[in-house]
Amino acid sequence: MIEVKNLVKRYGDHIAVDDLSFTVEKGQILGFLGPNGAGKSTTMNIITGYISATEGTVTVNGLDIFEEPEKVKQMIGYLPEFPPLYPELTVLEYLNFVADIKKVDRQSRSQMVKDIMETTKITDVKNRLIKHLSKGYKQRVGLAQAIMGYPELIILDEPTVGLDPKQIIEIRELIRELSNNHTVILSSHIMQEVSAVCDTILIIDKGKRVLQDKPENLSIHFGSKGGLKLVVRGDKDTVISELNKIEKITNLEESEALEEGTVSLTLYFREDDDIREEVFFSMSSIKMPILEMQSIRMSLEDIFIKVTQDDELHDINNSEITDEEEVVTDAGNL
Amino acid sequence: MLAIYKKELRSYFTSMIGYVFMALFLSIVSFYFYMHNLNSRVANFEYTVSNVSFIFVLLVPLLTMRLMAEENKQKTDQLLLTSPVTATDIVMGKFFAVFTILTMIVAVISVYPLIMSRYGEVPFASAYASIIGFLLLGGAYLAMGLFLSSLTESQVIAAVITFIVFFLTLIMEVIAKNISTSHKTAFIAFTVLWLIICLVLWIMMRNITVAFGAGIIGMIVMTVIYMNNPSLFDGAIVKVVSWLSAMARFGNFYMGILDLSDIIYYLSIIFVFLFLSTQVIKKKRWS
Repeated sequence: MIEVKNLVKRYGDHIAVDDLSFTVEKGQILGFLGPNGAGKSTTMNIITGYISATEGTVTVNGLDIFEEPEKVKQMIGYLPEFPPLYPELTVLEYLNFVADIKKVDRQSRSQMVKDIMETTKITDVKNRLIKHLSKGYKQRVGLAQAIMGYPELIILDEPTVGLDPKQIIEIRELIRELSNNHTVILSSHIMQEVSAVCDTILIIDKGKRVLQDKPENLSIHFGSKGGLKLVVRGDKDTVISELNKIEKITNLEESEALEEGTVSLTLYFREDDDIREEVFFSMSSIKMPILEMQSIRMSLEDIFIKVTQDDELHDINNSEITDEEEVVTDAGNL
Repeated sequence: MLAIYKKELRSYFTSMIGYVFMALFLSIVSFYFYMHNLNSRVANFEYTVSNVSFIFVLLVPLLTMRLMAEENKQKTDQLLLTSPVTATDIVMGKFFAVFTILTMIVAVISVYPLIMSRYGEVPFASAYASIIGFLLLGGAYLAMGLFLSSLTESQVIAAVITFIVFFLTLIMEVIAKNISTSHKTAFIAFTVLWLIICLVLWIMMRNITVAFGAGIIGMIVMTVIYMNNPSLFDGAIVKVVSWLSAMARFGNFYMGILDLSDIIYYLSIIFVFLFLSTQVIKKKRWS
């Protein structure tokens, strides 16, 4: 459906998009994720033909955006970062205008405008001037504008910004509905949002592709380990020496105890293992009661932060971890 | 194009600006009509038209300042440029919208000679020739205003720049009369002008070879011409400056002469500025 190849965008010395390539199949939702200034909006602006690329190509259904802009633009609906609204028009006038410039058939126009207002829930405000609408409604009018003409490819730049939680859920459902007949690309810097609706997630940072995969596979990429937070009442050394007998535990981290006479630990083990029962029985064998036990997984946020942080920072973190590991092993040997 | 035209025209009349513009325009013209025709008992309507033509300098910026600047500011240009419409559609739609407003005003003005004709002889030929010239002059100013509006995001800056440029066209004739006609001055002036153009070229394209090459070639060409035939440069600045003076051409119209070259002159000014506006819009994509 859409293929982006070796896209580069330079502004003088600054590289906004750096050799970005990806494809999206028909009917898929691609989530575009990255911190502010990662090049999400720039990439979207290039795909929609608003700005040009320094190098690289974008093809939609085999047509190049740089060579046949009019044909490609007809296949794309775009909600930019700031919804492009005319404050002096009413919602209905605005949507009619949009239908006009998107070359929607005259016969089907009024019905389509009506349907789109229904789906985006803006029928109540259709005769109000856009400048009098709240941020949430403006966003929805912007969304209505993007779906006008039911283009094959819908590109949404942070569609849920400024909406309240209920509206966010509605918009997500709407996007999911749209993906039945349309291909959708949406961007966000909020991880849950992307993982909630998207089939594929593309993480970019500093204009470069960091990773592209299904949301459920993301954590695998980072060799992440399962973890278990444990609070046990009893003597620290006994607990640790007993836990060291469990072979599946790869790492053991001690944290400050919150209550007196208790030990707080974080255990790490390979993800596919489940050590909860073993930990329970091992503690019960030395008669030290488990007060709290909680599984921890590497959250999407952690992944996001991990992949998008500076390389330098990354190194520092790594070295910190190794230091801690040493400490832990020392403690284990005691 | 039609969609943009309709929207643009409507937005002038859903906001105050369309009405204010027409009201101001017509009341100033009517006042001049009263002064030059009714009060002084003269039947030549072209006197009114030629005296009131400075009105464009004052009022056109009011109409054109928002045309593109507003789109740039509201980011609605993003909607237009990602829709299946061309830059030409956008510019033409906008130009014809403001031109329609001007045409409505001129339609009202066209009635004035008819009113006078009820009370005596009116030289219709010169009256209507001047009105046609007035419309063309207005069209040229509108095209310039549209172009200047496309350069900025701020309506205020657009209005100020437009006003300054229009004012220059107004006093261009006076300037032309006071410039030295020697060929040496002309040669230096043209060389400097060419270098400025090359500088602008470099700023816009950031391509040192093109700008530098154009600069060198232009200088060589001009020096060669100057060496071989310096008389070509005699009075050249005056010629160019007065050619640029939109008002100077207007003289023929108000004497009742419909000269094809004058009509083409105004049409080509309109064309050039509309073309430049499409280039500004297209260039935005490549910046």
